[in-house]
Amino acid sequence: MKRPTERGGTVTSLRQAMSLVKMGAPMHPIFVHFTIALTSASLAFDALGFFFDKQSLTAAGGWTLVGSALMTLATLSTGLTSSTRAPVEEGEARSFLRAHMALGLVFYGLLVAITFWRISLWQSGQSVSWVYLVALAVVALVMTVQGYLGGELVYRYGVEVEQAYRELPDRDAESPAPQLISSKSVSPSARTKKQGEAS
Amino acid sequence: MTGTSFIGLYPFQWIALLSALMTLLLLADALAGHYRSGFAFRVQYAPFISGGLLIIAAVAAAVAPNVTWLNTTLRGAGWLAVASGLIGFGFHHYYGIAKKPGGYKWLLHYLMYGAPQLAPLALAMTSALAIVAARGLAGVARVGGLSIRPALLILVTVALAGAVLQATILHYRGAFNNPAMYAPLTAPLLAVVASAWMVVAPSSLILFAFTILLWLTFLVGFVGLGMHLRGYDRQMGGLYVFLFNLLEGPPAWAPALFAGFSAVGLVTVHLL
Repeated sequence: MKRPTERGGTVTSLRQAMSLVKMGAPMHPIFVHFTIALTSASLAFDALGFFFDKQSLTAAGGWTLVGSALMTLATLSTGLTSSTRAPVEEGEARSFLRAHMALGLVFYGLLVAITFWRISLWQSGQSVSWVYLVALAVVALVMTVQGYLGGELVYRYGVEVEQAYRELPDRDAESPAPQLISSKSVSPSARTKKQGEAS
Repeated sequence: MTGTSFIGLYPFQWIALLSALMTLLLLADALAGHYRSGFAFRVQYAPFISGGLLIIAAVAAAVAPNVTWLNTTLRGAGWLAVASGLIGFGFHHYYGIAKKPGGYKWLLHYLMYGAPQLAPLALAMTSALAIVAARGLAGVARVGGLSIRPALLILVTVALAGAVLQATILHYRGAFNNPAMYAPLTAPLLAVVASAWMVVAPSSLILFAFTILLWLTFLVGFVGLGMHLRGYDRQMGGLYVFLFNLLEGPPAWAPALFAGFSAVGLVTVHLL
C-alpha cells in the first residue's frame, strides 16, 4: 500500500513537493526571535559601548533597536493572526494567552518610545546615558516576561503545535501503534492474535 | 520649513501623518460600529468617504510639502471631514439619544449603550489637526488669531479631554471591571490640565511635567490597545470567533487616539 506523502510517504516529483507547501505554518515563532535578539543585542551593544567608550558599539546598539522596532510590527501582526486561529478553551492557557496579548502591545509602546528617545539622542549628537540604559533594561525585562508567557503557551499548553507528526517510513499508514511490551511477556495466543491482526 | 526636523520630517509633516494615521484608526472603529448597526442609513458611509480623502491628502501633503495643489487639497479634505464629523455628531445625538425610546430621560443609558457620542467629533478633531498642518506647511504662522503653537496645544487639550470623557463613559458602562480601566483617568487627564496650563502660562517646569505626562499618555494608549485586545479574548470564543467578538467587544483602536494626540503634543512642544 502506497503511503500518502502527508504521512511520511516518499516525495518523488516536484508537483508532489509543491503540494506539500502549506502557508499555514505559524510565522509568529519566527519573527519573535528577531524582536528578542535585536532588543537584547541593542542593550548589550549599548552597555558595552557605554562602559568601554566605543562609538561603533553604540552605533550598533542604535541600529539594532531601530531594527527591533520595525521587526516587532511583523511579530505583532503574526501573533494576532496566530491568536485568531488558536482554539484554546477557557482555563489556564487562555489566561496566559490574554496576558501575552495585552503585554505584547504594552511592550511595543515601550519599544517605540525608547526608539524615538534613542533617535533624538542620535540627532542631537549625544551618547547614551545611565538613565537610558536603565530604561532599555526595563524594556528588555518586559520583553523577557512576554517571551516567558509565549514560551509557556507553546511548550506547556501546545498552542499552535500540530498534534500529529510524520511517522517513521517503515510503519504502514493504517497499522496500529506498536505495543511497548517485551516479546517474552506476550503469551503465544496473544502473539498469534496480534500476527493475525497485522496480516 | 518651520521647526526642527526629526528623522527627516518637519513638525507639520509629522502632524499631517499623525492625523492620517489617527483618521485611519477612527475609520476602522467606525466601520465596526456602522457594520454592527447594519449601515441602516446611507449617511453612515460618509465618514469613510471624507476620512478616506483626508488620509490620502494628508499623506500626499506630508510626502510633497512644497506642492501647492496638494496643500489646497488637504485643506479641502480637512474641512470636508470636519463637516462630516460635526454632522455625524448630530446624527449620533439624534438617532442615539433623542429619537430612542425614553430619549433624554434615559440619557445616561444611551450615552453608554447608544452610538458613541464623541466618536464623530474625534474625526472632526483629527481633520482640524490636518488643516493646521496644511497651514503650517504653507508657511502660515497664525491660526484663528493665535500663533500656531498655542493653537495646536488647544486642539490637543480639547482632543485629549474628549477622549478621556468618552473612555470614562464606556469604562463606567464596563463597571471598571479591571483596574487598568482607570488608566485614561490618570496621565491623560493630568496631560489635559498641563496642556491647558502650557497655553495660559507656559514655563520650563510645566513644559517638563507636560512632556513626561505626554509620554505616559502615549504609553497609556498602548496599554489600552493591549487591554482591549484582551477584552475580546475574555468573551466566549475569544479571537477564535474574531468578527463576532470584534463587533461585540471594546472598540479596537480607540485607545490609540491617546497615543496619537499625545504624539501631536510632543511634536508641538519639542519640534515647533
